[in-house]
Parts: sequence; structure tokens; C-alpha cells
Amino acid sequence: MSDLVALAVAVPIFGSLAALVAGLVRSESGWPVAVVACVAQVAIAARLAATAFGDGTITYVVGGFEAPYGIELLVDGLAATMLGLIAVVSLGVLAYARRAGPRSNPFYAVYLLLVAGLTGMSVTADLFNMYVFLEITGLAAYALVASGDRGRSAVAALKYLLVGTVGASLFLLGVGYAYIDTGTLNMADLATKLGDADPTLVHAAFAFIVVGLFIKVAVFPLHTWQPDAYAGAPDSVAALVSALVSTVAAYALLRVVYTVFGVGFLANNELAHAILVGGATVSIVAGSLLAVSQSEVKRMLAYSSVSQFGLVVAAIAIGNVTALMGAVVHLVGHAIMKGGLFLTAGLVATETGARRVEEFDGLVRRSPVGAGAFGVLAVAMVGVPPTVGFAGKWYIAVGAAESGSWALLAVIVGSTLLTLAYFARLVERMFFREPSDDLEPAIEAVADGGEAPGASLGMRATVVAAAVAAVALGLAVFGYSQHLQPTIEVLLS
Amino acid sequence: MDPVVPPFVPVLLAAVLLPVVGRRAGHAFGVLATAAVVPYVWLVPEGAYFPVQLFGFDAYLFYVDAFSQMMGLAMGIIGAAGTLYSYASEADAYQTAFALGYVGTSLGAVFGGDWLTLIFFWELMAVTSTLLVWHHGGLAVRAGFRYALAHGISGTLLLAAIVWHFVETGTFLFAGVPGGPATAGMAGSVAPLLAVLGIGVNGGFVGLHAWIPDTYPRPHFAASVFLSVFTTKTAVYGMFRAFPDGHLAVAYMGGAMAVFGATMALLQNDMRRLLSYHIQSQAGYMVAGVGLSGTLATAGAFGHVFNNFLYKSLLFMCVGVVIYRTGEESLKKVGGLARKMPVTALAFFVAAFSIAGFPGFNGFVSKGMVIGAAHYKHLDVLWYVLLAGGVGTALSFIKLGYHAFLHGEYDGEVRDANWGQGAAMLSVAALCVLFGYPAAMYAVIPGGAELDFVVFTVGHLQEGFGLVGLGLVGFAVLKKPLKKVGRVPDVDRAYNPLTFYATRYVVVGVTELYAAVDRVVVRAADATAAVVTAPGAAAGRLVGEDGVSLRADTSASILLVVVAVAVALVLVL
Repeated sequence: MSDLVALAVAVPIFGSLAALVAGLVRSESGWPVAVVACVAQVAIAARLAATAFGDGTITYVVGGFEAPYGIELLVDGLAATMLGLIAVVSLGVLAYARRAGPRSNPFYAVYLLLVAGLTGMSVTADLFNMYVFLEITGLAAYALVASGDRGRSAVAALKYLLVGTVGASLFLLGVGYAYIDTGTLNMADLATKLGDADPTLVHAAFAFIVVGLFIKVAVFPLHTWQPDAYAGAPDSVAALVSALVSTVAAYALLRVVYTVFGVGFLANNELAHAILVGGATVSIVAGSLLAVSQSEVKRMLAYSSVSQFGLVVAAIAIGNVTALMGAVVHLVGHAIMKGGLFLTAGLVATETGARRVEEFDGLVRRSPVGAGAFGVLAVAMVGVPPTVGFAGKWYIAVGAAESGSWALLAVIVGSTLLTLAYFARLVERMFFREPSDDLEPAIEAVADGGEAPGASLGMRATVVAAAVAAVALGLAVFGYSQHLQPTIEVLLS
Repeated sequence: MDPVVPPFVPVLLAAVLLPVVGRRAGHAFGVLATAAVVPYVWLVPEGAYFPVQLFGFDAYLFYVDAFSQMMGLAMGIIGAAGTLYSYASEADAYQTAFALGYVGTSLGAVFGGDWLTLIFFWELMAVTSTLLVWHHGGLAVRAGFRYALAHGISGTLLLAAIVWHFVETGTFLFAGVPGGPATAGMAGSVAPLLAVLGIGVNGGFVGLHAWIPDTYPRPHFAASVFLSVFTTKTAVYGMFRAFPDGHLAVAYMGGAMAVFGATMALLQNDMRRLLSYHIQSQAGYMVAGVGLSGTLATAGAFGHVFNNFLYKSLLFMCVGVVIYRTGEESLKKVGGLARKMPVTALAFFVAAFSIAGFPGFNGFVSKGMVIGAAHYKHLDVLWYVLLAGGVGTALSFIKLGYHAFLHGEYDGEVRDANWGQGAAMLSVAALCVLFGYPAAMYAVIPGGAELDFVVFTVGHLQEGFGLVGLGLVGFAVLKKPLKKVGRVPDVDRAYNPLTFYATRYVVVGVTELYAAVDRVVVRAADATAAVVTAPGAAAGRLVGEDGVSLRADTSASILLVVVAVAVALVLVL
């Protein structure tokens, strides 16, 4: 049974190799391989989630080396949620990428490698192992961003590579500091031993790990890689990366802060807590303001992510059951909504050529499906009930109120208005303005150089599914939160 | 008998039903409902009934004492006569409904056992009477606006006085009501001042009176019958409730009103405008009586209120018939109508003798009491002023009667009052004569039973005949010059434009201020939008360059990371 945990990491890696090898036999054969791997991944994730939520936490020790010496894998409710999210989103983006591309076999090999890295980050219970998967994730992501054929993609990828690598290195430095005095890398073991360790080392470890993960999460002002990367990458890559990479990084932050350092550490270190609160607040406000000032839709969506992850970090800083529930719900919700928005932006660009805010005038006439899905997803992102965007923000706001963090609560509620500020103008342009002039559908040449035809059924279906999910998940949140509650209570104990 | 409902209930019910059940049945019901008030309030023993919670405060809806009882009698009589007259004068159902609403709310005001009920109905009176004015349309509409404005100011001032009074005493109740305060009247130092101004607007104080001659000549002539008596007399009643012990200044204001009103009346040619000034003049006697206070003066004041209800409405009815039959409003256009309209002429002369205070008519009794009270208190100036007002009254009614009914000829066919108008006028005229007998008068007015005032003394008779005689002489002398008088301006000639331009400047000022604020806000919004949409260019303006790239390149990103790590380490270590 628990071998499935190892398979969850292994299947995408094997899929990646298979896609590469298949490319030697026949070009453009990566997509079916990726689909098979992702379907298998969804099945594994579903099975693991059912067990994790039904029977409790699953643990697996790699290679028979007992913890704390060997590498331990662990699937609790939180990890299972991430596993499911990664599997479903990567499969969904594949449906979109069939027509939209890129189509080369190496692309799909890297695509599956990213899935493997993300899955590994989610299930590992070992801090160093987490770094390894963080690097795998990072490298795969740099490569995917670079798969766009334009110079812009390459420059963005290079910037992403440099900044991201610094982030990962900081994380590694932090892990090293934690290791010096405790001699262990297992998270649970570290949690018990850090209490007796040299406080200076522990504090340094916290600072390095948190700043390192802030870079990966793209918290303001460490977000600089992110808008370029999202805007420069092909649409399917932008959707995948925006939906999963920062999300899993935020999950890692949650994991490290509460599993390794624990509630007591934050309670005893006001200033450590202040780093989280400060990062969250600045990110929410600055991200929204920067989003408002963008004229390119994909860049606007990217800055929106900076702001939304600010919310998640805020929830992590608050650190009670309700707020952490909100953090997880918002991570999942944001992944669906933001991934959906990037795919919709891609669909709109394919159908009408509109990539800038002012080109969205009267979009509903030219691309009804695109405009409709974009509208629904934007409204969900603003946080209108009963969407998942509302559920996440609601839990976080209630958590802030419960803990008495009134200033943070004001920022969280204000963030809704700020979100409205940048989405409302797009909604207004799409539905209430006359189209200015006919834009030629800009055919975006894909990595392989093939002529991309118009939008496919798969592209439209994926976009519509994302919009439906954004609403439907909001209705499912209550039942889900009851299943998640035990996991979070364990995390906070 | 025991009280069944507050007296305003059947009247307001009639008002609501009138437009529904048809004109004939509705008017019949209206006459019955108002007439029923007369025996009803007469038979209910003194006391406070129907305690309620009005806006959360203790209040009594039916407070019977000698004063409210007398007001109720007068209102019932004139309500019934006026409704009959309206029916006969082709007033439409809605107009009479508004009029009955006005009568009902007036009844509510005078039978309230507390200030809250009084002000509540006081404001409703303003609303219903404004509707009554407006209903006629045409010139009445603008006058109605000015009327509403005056009564809005009056109500607001009185309300402020009542609130102040409440703060002083802790209750809205009148002194005679169970649970009321120990002393009657407005308490404290500010409340009386506000009250005298607020009530003074409705009562027609000199300077605050312009709405009376402005409004009352303009609506339907049957509407004027109601308007002429209810508001000003309720104001006198309110003045008594606020100042049961009087005030000398109020008494002198009454004297001034008597003379000013009579003088202005003398200069008018519009019949209803002439009568309107007499409302002010007559109210002057009442205000003087209230101001003088004491048994005789108060009884005289209320007697005059009661009599005024009768003859003033009768005068408006008579003039109304003249307008109805001839279509003329001006004295210069009519003449010699006595031969063609004997019934109307008869009623008019009864009313004119009453108002002029001719012995044998009711005005002689009550006016004599007020003037006598001033005499007994040795307020000689006031006494002469009130006598002078009497001469002016006589003079102006001789003028009105002479020009309308006696002098000259009216060309064309003129019929007399129809049966309904005649019945209404003659019954009221009969009452004017009946209450000319002191015993009848004393039975009605507050404190009448204990009065030892003898009406028919040689001195009083000399006074009465003398006033009318002087009036005759004066008219003979002034007849020629009076004909040449055009329209005489009143204080509203000054303050109407003043109010108009002041309002205009306020509106313009507010608009301009709004526009200025709007400009600032729009500019700020534009600037914000400019910064937000092109932050690079905005930053460039700050440093004096065309634009600055705010996007962090790779090296800047790494620098930011280093700074962030440094900050984090400094914070935690």
C-alpha cells in the first residue's frame, strides 16, 4: 500500500524518461506518454488521498533505512491535497497543450520532471530531500519557461534561473544551519531537537529558509523573476507554473514553519513572526497596486499572484486552525483560478490576438467562451460567494479575527477591494464596451516552429472546466474542511 | 357621557372616506362628523383620556378642560358649516377632504394633553392646509410654497422650544394632566423665546404675518373659509398653553397686531385680502388678552377666539358668495349687491357688526372684555391702541360693506346665495347674534361662570357705539383718498426677494463648492491614474528624466534578495 507513495514520485520520472526515449522513435510523441503518466498520477493521488483522509497519515521509508537516518515520505491530509492538485492540474493543462503546444518530446519530458519534483516536495518528510526536489522543480521550471521560442522567454528564464537558484541556495544554507547542531534532517526529528539547539543557529536557519522560500513563493520584493517568467513563457507553461510552482513552495513554507519550527517558535520569536506578517502585508498591497498598473494581461495576472500569495503567507503567519484551513483552501483555489485565467488568456490570444488590457474591449462578442470563463474566474478571484476564492479568503479573514490580528484583517479585507480594482476594469472592458478595432488573431508560433491552428475543443473545455471548478469547489469546501481539520490540528500541536 | 374616541378620529375618517363614497354622501358624512363633535366635547367631563405612547413618550390624545372644550365647540360648528358651504359652493371632493383633514388635525392639536401631541398635529395641520391651498392650482401653488415654508419654520421653532422644555422638566405633559409638571407653561429661559417666535408665525405677529394676506386670498373661496380660522386660532390656543400667566410684551404685540392689521385692511381692495388682514387684527385682540392674563383677559381672549371662529368664517363665506356669483375679487369691480343678494347682505352685515364690536353682537362682548382688562390694569397705551384698532376695524368694514353691497350698481344678472350657502351663513349669523347675549357667551368661555364683568354698562355702550360712529365719520372723510390707494406693499415685498436671492446664492454657492471639490477629486484621480498606469514616467518626472524603468533586472533582483536576507537575519538574531 505505502509503496504507492514512492510510486507517486517515480511514475512521473519514468514517464519523463519514456517521453524522451519515445522521441527517438517518433517525433511529437511526447503528449500521449505524458497523458498516460498524468492519468496514472491522478489515480495514484486519488488512492493516496482516499487512504490519507480515511485511515490517517501514510508513511514510507525509502530503501529500508529507518527514520531518522533514511529518507521518510509522508502523506497526510495536507500532502494528499497537494498531490491531488498537482495531478489534476498537470492533466488539465495537458488537455490544453495538445493543440496549443509546445509539442516537442523534450518539453513533455521536462513537464513530467516538474510534476515529479512538485510531488516529491509535497510528500517528503526530510528537509534535505525537500531541497533536492525544490531544485528539481526549479530546474524543470526554468527549462519550461525557456521553451518559448522568443528571446523574451530565454531572458525571463535566465533571470528566473539566477534568482531561483539563489533562493534554493539560501534554503540549503538554512537547512545546513539546522543540521549543524542537531545532526538530523528528518522533519519530525528536527522538530524535537531544535528546541535544545543553539538559538542563534535556529534563528539563522529560520531566516535563510524563509527568505529562500519567499523567493520561490514570489513574495514582494523577491518576486522580480515571476512576472517576466509568467509573461514570457508559453501559455500552457505559464498556467502550469503559476498554478503549481509557487503553490507548492508556499506549501513547503507552511510545512517547514509548522512541522519543523513549530507553533512555539513563532510564539517565542516576535520578530520571526514579524517577517511573515510583514512579507504578507507588503505583498498583498504592493502586488495589487502593481497589478493595477499593468497593461499586459499576463503580467497583471502575475502580479495578482504576488498579492494572492501574500494572503496565504498572512494565513501562515496567523497560524490558527481556521487561518491554516484558509491557506490550504486558497492555495487550491488560487491554483485552479490562476491556472484557469492564464489558460483563458491564452485562449483569448489564440482566438482574437488580444494580449493587452485595452485590447479586451468588447471581448464577449469575439470570444464568448473566453470572455465568459475569464469573467467567472475573475469574479471568483475577487472573492464573490459562493466561489472557492470567497471560501479561502473567508477562512483567512475569520482566522485573523479569531486571533485578534485586526491590522492584518483590515489588509485582508482591503485586498478584496484591490483585487476588484484590477479585475473590474477587465470585466468592464470585456462585457460593457464596444470592440475598438478588429485585431488579427495573432498566431503564436510554438517552440517547434509549427503553425498553431485556432483554438481546439480541448482548450475551450479546459478553460470552461476551470471556471466550473472555481465555483463548484467553493460549494465543496465545507465538507473538505472537516476532513482536513485533524491534519491541521496535528500540525499545530 | 364617557369619551369614546378622540374627537379628531371621526373627522379624519370622514376626510378619508369623502373622496371614496362620492361627493354628496361624503359631504353629508363630513357635516355629521364635525357637527357631532359639538355635543360630544360639550358632554365629556373635564379630564385627560386616551393615554398613549407617542414616539415612546407619555401622551394624552383627548384632554378636556374649559379651553380645549371651547376650541372644540367652535371647530365643530365651523367645520360643519364650512363643509355644508363647500358642498353648496361646488368644491370638489378632494378639496373638502383636505379641509376636513385640516379640521381633524386642528382638533387633534387642541385636544392633545401634552406638547408632543400638540406639535405632532401642528405639523400635520401645516401639511393638510398646504394641500388645501395647493389643490386649487394656479397662483395658489406658489403662495402655497411660501405658506408651507412659513409653517415649516414655525413648526421647527416650536419643536425646538418643546424639546428644550422637555430637557428642563423631563416631561411633555401639560400641567393639568395626571403626571404633568407642577407649573404650567414653557419652562426655562430659552424655550419660551423659541415658542413665542414659533407660535408667533402662526398667530400672525407683526413682521411674521405676511403669509396670511399672501395665501388666504388665493385658493378656492370655500377653502378660505376653513383657512381663515383654524390655524391662527389654534396658534392663540397654543400661546395660552405656553404662556398661561401672560407676558406684557405679548400683550403689546397683540395691540400692535390689532392696529397694524386694521390699518392694512383699510388700504386693501381685494376683498379676501382685506379680510385676511383682519385675521391678523382680530388675532391681535386675542394675543393681547393672553398676554394680559388674569381671569377677565383670558376669558376675553378665548371669547374672542370663539366669536372670531363664527364671524370671520361667516365673512369669508359672504365674500365667497360674492366671488361665486360675480367672479370678481376686487371691491372696485362690484357694488350695490344688497338689492340682488339680500340673504348674503344680511349675513354680511351681521358679521360686520360682530367684528366691529357693535353692541348686541358677539364681538362687542369679547372685545369689550379684552379692552376692559387693559383698562383695569391701567395699561393706558395698550387700551388706546386696542380702541384705535377697533376704529380701524369699523372703518374698513364700513368700506367693504359700502362698496360691495350699498354703493353703486352692479351690471348684469346676479343671483343670491344658493340654499346650502344660505343655510350655512344664516345659521352662523344666528349664532353671532345669540352669543351677543353675555349669558350665552359666559356659558361657553373658560371661567365665564365666575366673571363679574357687566357687558351692558353705559361706558361700554358708549365705547361700542363710539367706535362705530368714529368709523363712520372716518369713512366719510377718507372715502375719496382711499379710492386712490393702489396695492400697498407689506413686509413680504422685502423678504420674498431676500429669501429668493439668499436661497439662490446658497444654491449657487453649494453648487460651486461641489464643483470645486469635484475638480480637486478628479484631478487627484487623474494624477493617481497617471502614476498607476505609467509608474515609470511618473518616477521619471520626479528625477527630471523622460522615464525610469522600474522593472528590476537580474542584478537588482539579486540585490533585493541579499537585502531581504540581511533584514531577516538582523531581525531574528
